[in-house]
Amino acid sequence: MKRLARALLVVLALGSCAKPDHRTHIYLQRFFGECGAEYGGSIDVAKAEGECGIITTLINRFNAENPDIHIDVNVVAWPGYPQLTAQVAARDPPDLVTMHEGVISDYALKGLLEPVDDYLKMGGVDTNDFTDAARAGVTINGRAYGLPWDTHGGLFHVNTALFAKAGLMRAGKPVLPTTADELIAQGKQFEQRTGKPYLIQSNVGDPAFAARNLYTYMMAQGAVLFPDAHHIKLNTPTGVAVAEYFRRINVERIGTLNMDTPAAIAAFINGEGGIYPTGTWMIGSFQKEATTRGRPLYNSYAVFPYPRLWGAHVEYVSGHSWVVPTHKRSAGQRAAIARFFRFMAAHNFDWARTGHIPAFNSVLADARFKALPHRADIAPLAEIGRPLPSNVQRQNAIEGIVGEEAAAAFTGQKKVPQALADAERRVNDLLAEVE
Amino acid sequence: MAARLGQARLTLPARVSLGLAALIMVAPLLWTLLLSLKHNADLVGHSGAALHPPYTLDNYGAIFGNSLTLRWLMNSAIVALGQTAGVLILASLAGYAFARLEFPLKRTLFVIVLLGLAVPSQAVILPQHQLFAWLHLHNSYPGLILPGLVAPFGVFFMTTYMRGIPAELDEAAMLDGASRWTIFWKIIVPLTLPAQSTLAVFTFLGAWNDYWWPLISATRSDMYTLTVGLAAAQMNYAQTSGLGYLMAQAVFASIPIFIVYIVFQKQIVRAMAGAAVR
Repeated sequence: MKRLARALLVVLALGSCAKPDHRTHIYLQRFFGECGAEYGGSIDVAKAEGECGIITTLINRFNAENPDIHIDVNVVAWPGYPQLTAQVAARDPPDLVTMHEGVISDYALKGLLEPVDDYLKMGGVDTNDFTDAARAGVTINGRAYGLPWDTHGGLFHVNTALFAKAGLMRAGKPVLPTTADELIAQGKQFEQRTGKPYLIQSNVGDPAFAARNLYTYMMAQGAVLFPDAHHIKLNTPTGVAVAEYFRRINVERIGTLNMDTPAAIAAFINGEGGIYPTGTWMIGSFQKEATTRGRPLYNSYAVFPYPRLWGAHVEYVSGHSWVVPTHKRSAGQRAAIARFFRFMAAHNFDWARTGHIPAFNSVLADARFKALPHRADIAPLAEIGRPLPSNVQRQNAIEGIVGEEAAAAFTGQKKVPQALADAERRVNDLLAEVE
Repeated sequence: MAARLGQARLTLPARVSLGLAALIMVAPLLWTLLLSLKHNADLVGHSGAALHPPYTLDNYGAIFGNSLTLRWLMNSAIVALGQTAGVLILASLAGYAFARLEFPLKRTLFVIVLLGLAVPSQAVILPQHQLFAWLHLHNSYPGLILPGLVAPFGVFFMTTYMRGIPAELDEAAMLDGASRWTIFWKIIVPLTLPAQSTLAVFTFLGAWNDYWWPLISATRSDMYTLTVGLAAAQMNYAQTSGLGYLMAQAVFASIPIFIVYIVFQKQIVRAMAGAAVR
């Protein structure tokens, strides 16, 4: 027995003798999934596809190009905020984290994120090159709390074959509505000529869809959604008008009514409707369908930002960013983070291949970006995109509440004023709990 | 004998009804299995594609292509087995004490244990997390196992079961000079094996499927359990663009549970039947 114990101790001791590592380690935490099986050893960014493939390859490439630094990657279940909060509470946060721009305020206003201005300066990242939407997404009280990585928002994904059948194509491009009434008229014409719904809508279990519609078209009419950091204002004549309009779309059967996200995606892919309003993140999947011979969407796909139906052409957007949780770090680690920022900024074009809008004007203007399918059409999102005010916390939770109530209004489960009043009350209750 | 009696009493409509019910029960599982054998791209447009070939094992290959999957499997096994062993030991000892021994505040303590059944784990998650952070137990096996050892249901279950064992057995053993420990270990524990099996299966199942605590305690990917690891491996919108992979993950994660049920099904049925008769 004693011999066995000794043998075990020797094995343990030998096992703990690791090769000395003089590299600076940076602990990076991200979502976007795990795809080590396909991209674990890849450093060829140009060949990588999809969010997971591109981010994995980029990090591999950074490690390969910077032998004195090693990025230790922790992949978290989407969106990863429960884990991050737990790590912060345990005083063991990562060095770099992927974060939705709408979530930054939750952490930054509590002092849990470092302003990154110094890192950006040290890394030589030109902050003047940020797009307006990207800058607004990461800036709180005049300080940048993250490296903006992309802008994402709603898009009108269009089946051009059905649009042609409906007589809604001009010079090879879909004719999108320019007023609210025109959208209804187009919808009726589309249904008459194709026998299919004009809009494919994910009204079920997708609060972001309804919230996006309400936010976007209230913003377009100049509505101030948050008069201050603790109150939302939705139950206004503008809010009621927008919600009543989406209710009318459903009453007049301009769009599908009872679809969740998978059903809506499948319907669009199978050519069961004219327009699917969903995000930038679906461009890759739909483009793949559009370039696969024999598929219903083959050669029949176009995509644009939400059309201007009222007032100004603006659109509610969010974005992904890289943030640095507050923690004690060595000078070497700080320099490594700065170098990582420089690398990621330099590779923003690669990330834009996912379908998201780049966070840098120079990438928007880059011929390589413009040459990507549909990018010239969706690039205006960087200019018209408007995030929620950066001093408002709990934006994810708020989107859930607003989306739930707005969907109830759009589908007729609740009267519009009642749903908007409920949304206001619930959000204001939530914000009242925030310090 | 009992099985023959049961068969003799089943009429044809009853058998058909039971068959239909069984089919309804198993249909989602079969559907999951079929989806897991299809390429993701085939399922994006229409999940009905799962009903016809070609089928593939690529999704399972992708699971094993991730270098950490086996590590997550091992972590889950260690945590689930550790919790199961711990709960069996603690619940049996506590159950014996509550069922057989007299000590001050016994009733009060038992009520406190029962109150534990009414406290959802989410309600204590913040202090629990702080405590484990203070003890530096996050990202460790003890950190993952220890919270699961608080098992009021197990204590209640074993107490109830042991109370059903005639006290005369203990008295006879005492007359023969057996100590309390000998009585517990040599007489009571063997008699409670059906209950132990049931409790073991429930505990193992709960520990294996647990997501919430491992999600916030194991924040380093090498300490993830299988549930957290597989969830982390999913991309956004996995339910549409990666349905086959998602289903393969579900099948893969449920295999150990399936094996546990197969191995212990006699004990489970016996324990359930015993509880019903009593």
